[in-house]
Amino acid sequence: MTAEPFLRLDGVSKRYPGVVVLHEASLEAYRGEAVALMGANGAGKSTLMNVLGGLATKESGAIFIDGQPVSLRSPRDAAANGVAFVHQELSLLPTMTVAENVHADEFPVRGGLLAPEIMRRRTTELLARLGSKLPTDIRVENLSAGDRQIVEIARALRRRPRIIIFDEPTSSLTGRETTRLFEVIAGLKRDRAAIIYITHFIDEIFAICERVTVMRNGRTVASAATGSVTFRDVVHLMLGETDNIVRLGKTTAGDAADDGGDVVLQVRGLSRANVLKNVDLTLRTGEIVGLWGLLGSGRTELLRALIALDAIDQGELCWRRNGELLSVTPRELRRFVGFVTEDRRGDGLFLPLSVETNIALPSLSALTNRLHLIARKKLTRLVHSMMERLRIKASGPKQPVGTLSGGNQQKVVLARWLATNPRLLFLDEPTRGLDVSAKTEILKLAVEFALAGGTILIISSALEDLMRVSDRYLVISRGAIVAQLPGAATADELKLAVSDDSSRSELSL
Amino acid sequence: MIRTSTLLRMNGLFKSHPNAVPLPNAALDGRGGDSPTFRRSVDARLIASVIVFLLVLGLLAAFAPSFFRLNNLTNILVQTSTLAILAIGMSVVMIGGGIDLSMPANMAISAVLGALYMRVGQDPVTGSAIMIVSGATIGALNGVAVAYLRMIPFVVTLATMTIAKGACIWLTNSVSIAGLPESFGDILLARPLGIPVAVLATIALTLLASTALSFTVIGRWLYAIGVNERAARVARVPIERVTAMSYVAAGLSAGVAALLLAARLDSASANMGNDGVVLDIVSACVVGGISIYGGIGRAYGAVFGALFITIVSNGLNLMGVSFYLSLIVKGIVIIGYVALDGLSGKAR
Repeated sequence: MTAEPFLRLDGVSKRYPGVVVLHEASLEAYRGEAVALMGANGAGKSTLMNVLGGLATKESGAIFIDGQPVSLRSPRDAAANGVAFVHQELSLLPTMTVAENVHADEFPVRGGLLAPEIMRRRTTELLARLGSKLPTDIRVENLSAGDRQIVEIARALRRRPRIIIFDEPTSSLTGRETTRLFEVIAGLKRDRAAIIYITHFIDEIFAICERVTVMRNGRTVASAATGSVTFRDVVHLMLGETDNIVRLGKTTAGDAADDGGDVVLQVRGLSRANVLKNVDLTLRTGEIVGLWGLLGSGRTELLRALIALDAIDQGELCWRRNGELLSVTPRELRRFVGFVTEDRRGDGLFLPLSVETNIALPSLSALTNRLHLIARKKLTRLVHSMMERLRIKASGPKQPVGTLSGGNQQKVVLARWLATNPRLLFLDEPTRGLDVSAKTEILKLAVEFALAGGTILIISSALEDLMRVSDRYLVISRGAIVAQLPGAATADELKLAVSDDSSRSELSL
Repeated sequence: MIRTSTLLRMNGLFKSHPNAVPLPNAALDGRGGDSPTFRRSVDARLIASVIVFLLVLGLLAAFAPSFFRLNNLTNILVQTSTLAILAIGMSVVMIGGGIDLSMPANMAISAVLGALYMRVGQDPVTGSAIMIVSGATIGALNGVAVAYLRMIPFVVTLATMTIAKGACIWLTNSVSIAGLPESFGDILLARPLGIPVAVLATIALTLLASTALSFTVIGRWLYAIGVNERAARVARVPIERVTAMSYVAAGLSAGVAALLLAARLDSASANMGNDGVVLDIVSACVVGGISIYGGIGRAYGAVFGALFITIVSNGLNLMGVSFYLSLIVKGIVIIGYVALDGLSGKAR
């Protein structure tokens, strides 16, 4: 092993409006080794890699390659400095051939015309290095996910990179394809490349990585040799210290939820091909249920499927109406359930529109006068009362919501749903990207809602946030509910529940 | 073609100085506090338009003083009305993030169908109803295709345009349908209080569309869809229904435009919706601050845009500029505005 790291990212910081995404993050990689970059959802690892790949700019900090400071302002800069990024399959051009995809950023030219035979020959050579005999003239859309991954890697290798970033390369691969990918990575290490490997499957890092670096909340919290840490150490580092969790108020639901309040929603056998497997679920009045699983476990997909934002293949839903549990379709259920989405800016808010419109949108039908026009007074009253109740800090109801801080944006989303007087709320990562006080405020609002008889199904990658409010937990893994844990469950128990398969099956018994 | 009798009372509308032109000022003052749109970017674009507009008027005052003759001003308003009504319909579709290229062809086929009936039936009421229903029906077909069958608006409406145009020529053999009942023209060309019906209809539709967009639930939903369809779906907006309705509104406005234009021409023909009209409609919208990316703009902006486009064409004509050169100028102006739209679209 070289004493000096080949690649060093030092004190890299970056913020988006209202959110610090990287705070003095650092990373080191050595030639001939793979370093696993781990972190929960939103920990900042993708942003850090985008900085290295020239896709995002850093605000401060430095990057050294082979001891020399480098400036990476574009993917071209990065490539010129020997950095290659193996993206998930999406970055390939499906209607072009393998050879064309490999050369898409720089087609070989002879006499001003494309030179397909050079392209084919080089592609064949690159594929051979990866142990693949893929035909070079086949269109990428006809390839399996594993073969696409190989094409992606061949493309990355074309410029003889010295540093190769793999971003969740196995998420859509079969077991055998994963094994082949690991062989390819081992080969790249023999060729003295420095590998950065991002994954959500913790067991993989022990198979192919020499070191592991863990990020949390935009900071690098640990770097170690994989030989010196255990699976559980990594989970602990990713999720952070969870001592002294103070529960925020106590909801009325008992820990043994089965004999708690009335059933609000009952789900039987909900399935969606390759995403959700036969999910059963019961939610009662006044309880906050934590849906606990790692990224990629199908937790967001479950919420989306329940309210017909994604289609389902089968499953039966029953919703309590007028004191009776009646069968309901997901599409109908959407009318009763408020959904605070994970991607606040993408599908939560209408950023250029006012706070007022963002809050009132689903309530508008109830705010009209006899002429079916929107009644100004009713609208203003509703918006004002919600802004006051949630203490939304804005210059006024007309301020475009995109100019608010992250915490206030999240309150606007919450206000929107509370204004509809829902009985059930889905909260997907409601505290993501918020500062400590904003987090607490959002969680307190959730508890208030449950105390008033509402029901909440909440997802959070931040275990401590989940533990501050949950009355019980449903553990989800690979699209199935694999365990139920009581509200008294400790952080260790919860971490264990998502840590490995043996304990998982134990708990589900 | 355009009757220019009793114009005297038009005096009040266009007084002496370009600064007194009512539309741009109304556009600025009337922005109100109720807009669901991102006010600053709307204003920036509208202000830019108003400044260019005043510049054009200044140039006209210097080089083509005949522009400001009452006759010409009234002509311009009447000429603008067709484009303005089409632009109102287009603005509704564009705010929802779509586009309707079939509007001029829709106008032509609707006018032809109504005229064919009236030539035989001599019944202006039924004839008018046929035009409007035909317009709305074609709009509904577009709406269903885009909203429920998830087809690309550009392609669907281009195809509808071709169908309507083909039908028009096939039905008329490219001959204009004349011989409409006199009462038809009498009603639609009347000038109550000296203001042509076409102008009154434009004002009424502008108010109607502006109110619908800003003060009805469906109007706000439309903006929401235009800004972020994914978020709108989560926020329980019935996307399919609202989108389909926006195309029906466009079709309706094509029907109304058909009615007024047929009355003015005292005939209907396949030529009514010629190729340049689509560009003029979209230009009117873009100049009037309606974003081609959806979610931004007002109906009255589109009307101002229509006035702008008409005045540029008319003014260049009066200044003795060749028709073809005026096309070049128009194209450049439009590219400038689309660039402006693109820049602020990126900023979002």
